Amino acid sequence: MADQAGASNAAPSPRTAVVIGGNRIPFARAGGAYAYSSNKDMLIAALDGLVARFGLQGERIGEVAAGAVLKHSRDFNLTREAVLGSALSAATPAYDLQQACATGLETVVGLSNKIRLGQIESGIAGGVDSASDAPIAVSEGLRRVLLDLSRARTTQQKIKALGKLRPKDLAPNAPTTGEPRTGLSMGEHQALTTAAWKISREAQDELAYLSHRNLAAAYERGFFSDLMTPYRGLTRDANLRADTSLEKLATLKPVFGKSLDTTATMTAGNSTPLTDGAAVVLLGSEEYATANNLPMLANIVDAEASAVDFVHGEEGLLMAAVHGMPRLLARNGLTFDDFDFFEIHEAFAGTVLSALAAWEDEDYCKRVLGLDGALGSIDRSKLNVNGSSLAAGHPFAATGGRIVASLAKTLSEKGGRGLISICAAGGQGVIAILEARK
Amino acid sequence: MNGTAADDVTLPEAPELPTLYRSALTLAVQRRAGRGDVPTRLPAARHRVDRVAVDLGALTRFQQLLGSPVRDQLPSAYIHTIAFPVAMSVLARTDFPLPLLGMVHLRNEVHQVRQVGFHEKLDVVAFAENLRAHPAGMQADLVTQVDIDGEQVWTGRSVYLARGVRIGPAMGERHDEDRPPFVAPAPTGVWRLDRGVGRRYAAVSGDWNPIHLSGPTAKALGMRGAIAHGMYLAARMVDQAVPAPSGALQWRVDFAAPVLLPGTVTTSFTRVASGIDSGADSGARVDVVGWSAKRKRPHFTGSVRAG
Repeated sequence: MADQAGASNAAPSPRTAVVIGGNRIPFARAGGAYAYSSNKDMLIAALDGLVARFGLQGERIGEVAAGAVLKHSRDFNLTREAVLGSALSAATPAYDLQQACATGLETVVGLSNKIRLGQIESGIAGGVDSASDAPIAVSEGLRRVLLDLSRARTTQQKIKALGKLRPKDLAPNAPTTGEPRTGLSMGEHQALTTAAWKISREAQDELAYLSHRNLAAAYERGFFSDLMTPYRGLTRDANLRADTSLEKLATLKPVFGKSLDTTATMTAGNSTPLTDGAAVVLLGSEEYATANNLPMLANIVDAEASAVDFVHGEEGLLMAAVHGMPRLLARNGLTFDDFDFFEIHEAFAGTVLSALAAWEDEDYCKRVLGLDGALGSIDRSKLNVNGSSLAAGHPFAATGGRIVASLAKTLSEKGGRGLISICAAGGQGVIAILEARK
Repeated sequence: MNGTAADDVTLPEAPELPTLYRSALTLAVQRRAGRGDVPTRLPAARHRVDRVAVDLGALTRFQQLLGSPVRDQLPSAYIHTIAFPVAMSVLARTDFPLPLLGMVHLRNEVHQVRQVGFHEKLDVVAFAENLRAHPAGMQADLVTQVDIDGEQVWTGRSVYLARGVRIGPAMGERHDEDRPPFVAPAPTGVWRLDRGVGRRYAAVSGDWNPIHLSGPTAKALGMRGAIAHGMYLAARMVDQAVPAPSGALQWRVDFAAPVLLPGTVTTSFTRVASGIDSGADSGARVDVVGWSAKRKRPHFTGSVRAG
């Protein structure tokens, strides 16, 4: 009963969902320019910039979907609260979504499907994350005591509840990037995959170098002028090192995989840093864009979410998109050669390079993916042409919006077809196809 | 052959483990002082406690400590926990030849026929068999059977070693160089165990063996420091290998170097194709290794199979 959507059972799409534009705030390093901005603050900043760019003041949008990975429980209605704090009409509904680092892309997928079905005409998708303003929880022991205390009726019951409190319960719990089921951090997981695919330090540093170079070049030619709104004094991603070099990257000490038998290759330079930021994308039907005299940058063609079992040693944590890719391509009758741009999220340089190696490996593609041969190679000159997360930073839920807006603009300028791949915690991944307007 | 119904000793309720440990201590002191004969055979008696009820609060605390879902069905290792005091009462008998305190848990094997709900009443029978020599002393099997309404649903066999004890002809000394060197598999996870995990597991399992509680109490019994309960490691292993068992479950764990607390156990969970007898219903087997990455030696190896 494996789920396998194919060309034969895909419902005919009555409408097209298009990317109209996007807006984000520059990404800051954790503890930097946005240290005192909350998720809601940053999401409102990104929304307000989008509203200003496309004249949406007081407009009722069909629906806004966004999310944050590190979210305080008081922000249960984060996106709706951000809408109420923005210049959009208060009659704009909103919902929160969370799929780890794939959150932003999944909001684009969900809202574009609503548009294609005719349930809404317009939508704003996106995400936000703050590693600086992270929620801190009380310890499990204190939490249980407080809950028991709130339920206690008599003084005796209250004393009994308080009596269970231990001094160590008073230490707070900060969120971690550890996988609950394995106890390994994301970097430690990727180190296992990087080692298994024998990805060299040099190859990882080169990918990081190209990310910085491409992002810097995109800024130089003004690519982000209509994709970004300055915030809190930042006008560029704070993590960007335009002057970095392979030599500088080579001097950094490894930070992940140090306890493995193989040489540790992952450094702070070829891994994404903790970052704060927000990104949103304006989506609509062709009719909506035409009626409101708005641009249409690209069509959203198709998408697929996938997951793998990383708990029982079957696959690496961040390799799920590798498994979804052949299904998505087959359903659309496409191969890698049919694409002009590839946006593979750089959680770590090793993540991108492991995926590329897997798709090129005939034995792996046959044995693990069940294909007839290797899925294919990706032309590196088409990969992350405007830089990606290693240079820009990666505020988890904001990355999808950043990538969709950048790719849609690239397609509107250069034409062709683009592929997005984003890996996520929990062994998940979301991939999507965008296409230039004919 | 041990364990026939004719030798059954029916206890009114499951004994308290601390009481058993205290009487074992008294017995050990008496034997060391040369008082009381040390028997040379295992007792034939089977100890049984009928219609043991599960305390829902205790089950919840056990599940939460393991990080497993708070389900209405019992974790397989929790059935061991419920039956454990009955098994211990066999080891604490004055006619049991090996000293209870300081015995080393070598292996555990469980065959479970079906999943068990918390509302079911468990009939527990425990007996010892297979007293035999081990290169480091004497070993014996402790067998625990759990029936529900006359249906045998769970059988556990624990192998214990009494170091330095000799009954009958000695076995040849085993030398470490005979053992193949440990080769660590590719890790898939890590368990970080803090200093208090022994006390917390004691609280949810009732196993207050001093070797798990603190450095001083463990050192008093010849350990280098407090060590994690073997069944804590086994329970986590089973839960992680098959997170949602729906029918039969077989598992086995072989303990090697104890896990000193606090400590880090690197783990490897590998799903392997099951044997030729695997039908459509039986899941794959998951092989598990837990080891110390620092000392490069295994803490345990095991396997779990659903179906």
